[in-house]
Amino acid sequence: MLAAQALASAAFHDGYYGVAFPFFGAERRGAPVLAFARIDREKIYQKTQIYEPDCVVVLDDKLVDLVNVAEGLKQDGIAIINSSKKPDEIELEREAKVAVVDATTIALEVLGTPITNSAMLGAFAKATGIISMDALEKGIMDIFGPRIGVERAKRNIEAAKKAYESTDIGVCKGGRMFEKGKKWLPNWDELPIGLATRALKTDVGLVGIGSFVENKTGTWRTFRPVINKEKCVNCLLCWFYCPDGAIKRVSDGVEVDYDYCKGCGICANECPVKAITMVR
Amino acid sequence: MMRVVTGNYAAAYAAMRARAEVVAAYPITPQTFIVEHIAEFINNGEMDAEYMAVESEHSAMSAIISAEATGVRTFTATSSQGLALMHEMLFIPPALRLPIVMAVVNRTVAAPIGIWCEYNDAMPQRDTGWMMVFVENNQEVFDMIIQAYKIAENSDVLLPMMVCLDAFILSHTVEPVSLEEQEAVDEFLPKYKPHVYLLPEDPMAVGTFTPPEYIQEVRYQEDVAMRNARRVIARVDEEFGEKFGRKYHGLVEKYMVDDADVVLITLGTVTSTAREIVHKLRDKGKKVGLVKLRFMRPFPEQELREIAENVKAIGVYDRSVSFGSGGPAYIEVRNALYGFDIPVINFLAGIGGRDVMAPDINLMFEKLYMAADGAEKKNIIWIGTRGVEP
Repeated sequence: MLAAQALASAAFHDGYYGVAFPFFGAERRGAPVLAFARIDREKIYQKTQIYEPDCVVVLDDKLVDLVNVAEGLKQDGIAIINSSKKPDEIELEREAKVAVVDATTIALEVLGTPITNSAMLGAFAKATGIISMDALEKGIMDIFGPRIGVERAKRNIEAAKKAYESTDIGVCKGGRMFEKGKKWLPNWDELPIGLATRALKTDVGLVGIGSFVENKTGTWRTFRPVINKEKCVNCLLCWFYCPDGAIKRVSDGVEVDYDYCKGCGICANECPVKAITMVR
Repeated sequence: MMRVVTGNYAAAYAAMRARAEVVAAYPITPQTFIVEHIAEFINNGEMDAEYMAVESEHSAMSAIISAEATGVRTFTATSSQGLALMHEMLFIPPALRLPIVMAVVNRTVAAPIGIWCEYNDAMPQRDTGWMMVFVENNQEVFDMIIQAYKIAENSDVLLPMMVCLDAFILSHTVEPVSLEEQEAVDEFLPKYKPHVYLLPEDPMAVGTFTPPEYIQEVRYQEDVAMRNARRVIARVDEEFGEKFGRKYHGLVEKYMVDDADVVLITLGTVTSTAREIVHKLRDKGKKVGLVKLRFMRPFPEQELREIAENVKAIGVYDRSVSFGSGGPAYIEVRNALYGFDIPVINFLAGIGGRDVMAPDINLMFEKLYMAADGAEKKNIIWIGTRGVEP
């Protein structure tokens, strides 16, 4: 979301009209979110989401396996992907121009956290040539500066530069099959009255109370908590603090439910005997 | 049992007779006696209900919403600033389809601060999804609270209802009211059977975070329910008439309208006074009629269009104003009468609780005759305002 804003701002510094906006789902930080940006020489009036982009930027490498990121991408469009792979090792629904950068590694080196948005902007500048690095620096400072401070914004600029230099452009493989995203979209008279829902089985899965069992949020994870059973004193602080109930009590202590653990690291932070380490 | 009681007493008594099981309210003049009477009924053992003393009207509605969601019949009452404070919570029962019934004693909303009758408390709530009925006398207060439950709880409706009564003119005025026996009310209004309710052993989600893929359909459901209410209101009134011998004619009551040249549309207690004026004018050979606009939601579009077929001019009385645009009832009537080529004019009077007197209503009919002849060109007429030529 900040990346899209910084991109719109950078475009503005290069003499364009830039518009950026997010679309949030029901989840919190780290959850897959969509952000959109439009850049044009003319004033932009359209206020809709974008369904056929010229460029799709994928900040989280794991999404490529889960979501058909090339869906709607224009025939001559480009996919910019955070990955440690080579362009021709990437597999999408169809052959397409791709730009690849290992933004997670860059972010970890430069920022110390796996937040890849600034690095991906550098890759965008390199891959599309639409905006200059000079404008991008200003755009990042405009948006990141007031939020996280000038020093940290500068480090984000550094990450963008590094990504710019290491972006690899090529063509990906096609032919990957994706299951068409299914949604429960009942007519008005099929919805429970007042949306008062008990657990409801639909042809696209569970709906209503308890339905998140089917939403395996473990795919959001970059770091995974590993418990050292030797050190663990079974104080259960991790079990108390885990915001997702992803720490389970078992006969000999505690265990992480990796299907749902989002890798937030709160358990490792709270563990008084440092028995939990976060591993990439 | 016929007794001489206030509108507030009639409201409290109706809540008891309807067997409301949870009452949560915060006292505010002129509603206070409603909750005091209910507290007395409970204390005397006459009424079997949980009374929740809450810290505000916002909390009152929150408590009532929660109670109703567990599947019990509930009641609350408020006025003026209290209703305004409740506004945020008013959107919730219609969407969750909780058939709550609330008495609203219409009082002016500050500033300037006043305690007397004006409809600027209720009118801003029109878009929350509540049904809204305005009553004319204390008998109608009692009768409509009983009817309100039956309408609201109908499976084709499942929307909450406000029963609006004029501050002091009804709330603190005594007049004879037939307070029906429990057995008769029970026969008319059986025990509430909720369509769905919260149960710990069978968990349910209500009012959860809902993305755009669903909210539009929820709003459509509410819209359909409000449209269905038109039919249900008429049917329940028929049943009530058969049981108790009193009928209110659904969304609107037509009084001497059939051969009328001009008609006046009124809300609330002004209707009562206007009935006498209509009689006097009829005695003088003037063919005047009266339309009691009972419901603001659902709004009686079709009924008003039928009336407009045969008259030369229509006047609409309002006890509140949407500044620069006339009164809310007038705005809605004009919308309903789109395409009719007759004068429709607005009379603003009784604002802030000023008495609406017989000469005021006479003047409204005079203006209507002038409008019918093309001699009155104004659309919005303030009556009894110093320095303003009506």
